[in-house]
Amino acid sequence: MRFTILKAIFKKELLDVLRDRRALISMVVVPLVVFPLLIGGIARLIPAMQTRAEEEASGLNVSVRISTPAIREGLEKAGLRLVDSENVKAAVQSKSAGAGVEEFAGSPPRISVYVDASNESSSAAGTRIREILTELRDREIRDHLRGAGINEDVLTPFVIARVNVAGERKMAGALYGSLLGYLLVLLMCTGGMYTVLDMTAGEKERKTLEALLASPARRSEIVMGKILVAITSILATAVLTLGSMAYTLKNAPIPGPGAGVNAADAPVENLRQRLGTIPLDASNVGLIALIFIPLAIFAASLMFAISLKARSFKEGQTYLTPLVFVVIFPALLGGLPGLKITPALCLIPFFNASQMIHGILTGEASSANFLVTMAANLAYSAIAFQLATRMFNDEKVLFRS
Amino acid sequence: MIQVSGLSKSFTDPKRGTHLAVDNVTFDVCAGEVFGLLGPNGAGKTTTLRMLATLLKPSSGTATLSGFDIVRQPEQVRAQIGFLSGDMGLYGRLTPRETLEFFGSLNGLDAVRARRRIDQVFLMLDMNSFADVRGDKLSTGMKQKTAIARALLHDPPVLILDEPTSGLDVPTARNIEAAVLNAKQSGKCILYSTHIMEEAEYLCDRIGVIDGGKLKAIGTMEDLRRETGKQRLREIFLDLLGLAA
Ligand SMILES: Nc1ncnc2c1ncn2[C@@H]1O[C@H](COP(=O)(O)OP(=O)(O)OP(=O)(O)O)[C@@H](O)[C@H]1O
Ligand SMILES: [Mg+2]
Repeated sequence: MRFTILKAIFKKELLDVLRDRRALISMVVVPLVVFPLLIGGIARLIPAMQTRAEEEASGLNVSVRISTPAIREGLEKAGLRLVDSENVKAAVQSKSAGAGVEEFAGSPPRISVYVDASNESSSAAGTRIREILTELRDREIRDHLRGAGINEDVLTPFVIARVNVAGERKMAGALYGSLLGYLLVLLMCTGGMYTVLDMTAGEKERKTLEALLASPARRSEIVMGKILVAITSILATAVLTLGSMAYTLKNAPIPGPGAGVNAADAPVENLRQRLGTIPLDASNVGLIALIFIPLAIFAASLMFAISLKARSFKEGQTYLTPLVFVVIFPALLGGLPGLKITPALCLIPFFNASQMIHGILTGEASSANFLVTMAANLAYSAIAFQLATRMFNDEKVLFRS
Repeated sequence: MIQVSGLSKSFTDPKRGTHLAVDNVTFDVCAGEVFGLLGPNGAGKTTTLRMLATLLKPSSGTATLSGFDIVRQPEQVRAQIGFLSGDMGLYGRLTPRETLEFFGSLNGLDAVRARRRIDQVFLMLDMNSFADVRGDKLSTGMKQKTAIARALLHDPPVLILDEPTSGLDVPTARNIEAAVLNAKQSGKCILYSTHIMEEAEYLCDRIGVIDGGKLKAIGTMEDLRRETGKQRLREIFLDLLGLAA
């Protein structure tokens, strides 16, 4: 390898990428907008959906057959529109009422609440009705106790509290880690894809490869120069994605909870608070960066070797698109709950990287798994690089007509 | 300078099976000479030139350029040549100047020398008006001039030019022919493939007629006239191909 030649090839290919709109979009624009859009979308959607369901619920008719006046009164006071009916269940089934309440005589009397669980608004109305009924029952119990001269405290002899030992960081890491690892691996592949395609199949299609091959540059220098540029764009994508994620979660204005929803229950606010506890300190970032490097070399070399087979950019795209799914599938598996990561599982490329990112963020990464991941990905990189170089030396690949 | 001996190339493809694209070709080209490889479509011109430029490996036979063997010393061979392939593209997102700077550094020119040579070839090929326009905005002629400039840039002793004037208008073609004659004057060894009769007659010191991968005849125009008994190159060519004029 001659440094001046390598530098010339690297410089030229990088310039080419920086002027390629398609490559820039997948490398810079997509990583910068995907995450804010995703989080912003979820943040807006969840409260909006809740508010809508609740609004609709309050406008629904409630079909009733109630004999106890106190219950009827309680429901009416809460603002529900009651419609008397002989067959409450049928009314809900036929959607002529959003929900239904039926009282069956007995000791004690039994009250059924009918909902159509497949309908958000009906479910919300059912929840609301149950809340009102529970409140009514509690009030009645308290009244009875007071009448008998007994202190209300007998109702709560002890309090049960649920304490989650996972801790804030682990919870946040679990959420963030699986999302991050998965999205990063996906975006790294798509971010490098256009660069690689343009340098291989694209050059073949535009017939610019021949002049380069007839120059004094060695094949190994050409492959190295081009793959270095591919690695650069993959790493640039990874860094931009990470940065955009961190920025969105820490700073972006996430809309507050919708009207009528208790702040503590707002899932987005909750998510954000948890995510805020993730320590993106130097050692975590450094470890993640270490994971990225062999992964980027492997992805770049593999995509290079595959797209070299294609005669045109389009053909190359059809070869690489399934690769993205092959990569994503194991990365998705990493999100499965209860999956125990063993060193053997760390031999699976891409999956191992998204798992390690997950592990680093939850603080659960074992050094054995880390080492196996690094070693495996480095070995795959070396093999893929060899393959790419071998293909680049094969005239049947370069001059396929 | 170029010595080709018994060069053959066979391709295998699923439809045609194995076939000889170049069949036992032998010729040589001296310094200060333009040798024309004249042949119809599919004759094997491009395949021959690609083997000489070390892009394809010969199935048998070999060749030397400036004494370097194309099979055993491909890197040294590539350092000796300026190569222009018939259907060669240009970097669309780079300007002619950037393209030449890149190839200058691949050929080991330092920045100062590269700049001087770039100015020289731009002047010679009348390229200054579009030197800084991106490749995808250039016309066919401008692109072809850039491709020629790239082959001449590092002042190589051997030029391998595959149909350098194809698709060009007469003024632009003349411009390129002038550059070739200029290179010949300065002692370059030039292998020039074409299927344009006038061009071969006008530019080439000797001509090799190739058809179906085989060299049918080699010589000066005089030699070819004597051999076939015809006067004009067009008639000579058709005669050698076994077609009635
Ligand atoms: N990479 C390849 N694979 C298979 N066959 C090939 C390949 N390249 C060329 N050929 C075949 O070799 C023969 C010679 O082709 P070549 O391109 O050398 O002809 P040519 O003289 O340059 O023709 P033209 O004047 O059309 O440029 C043709 O039959 C062609 O189909
Ligand atoms: Mg040709």
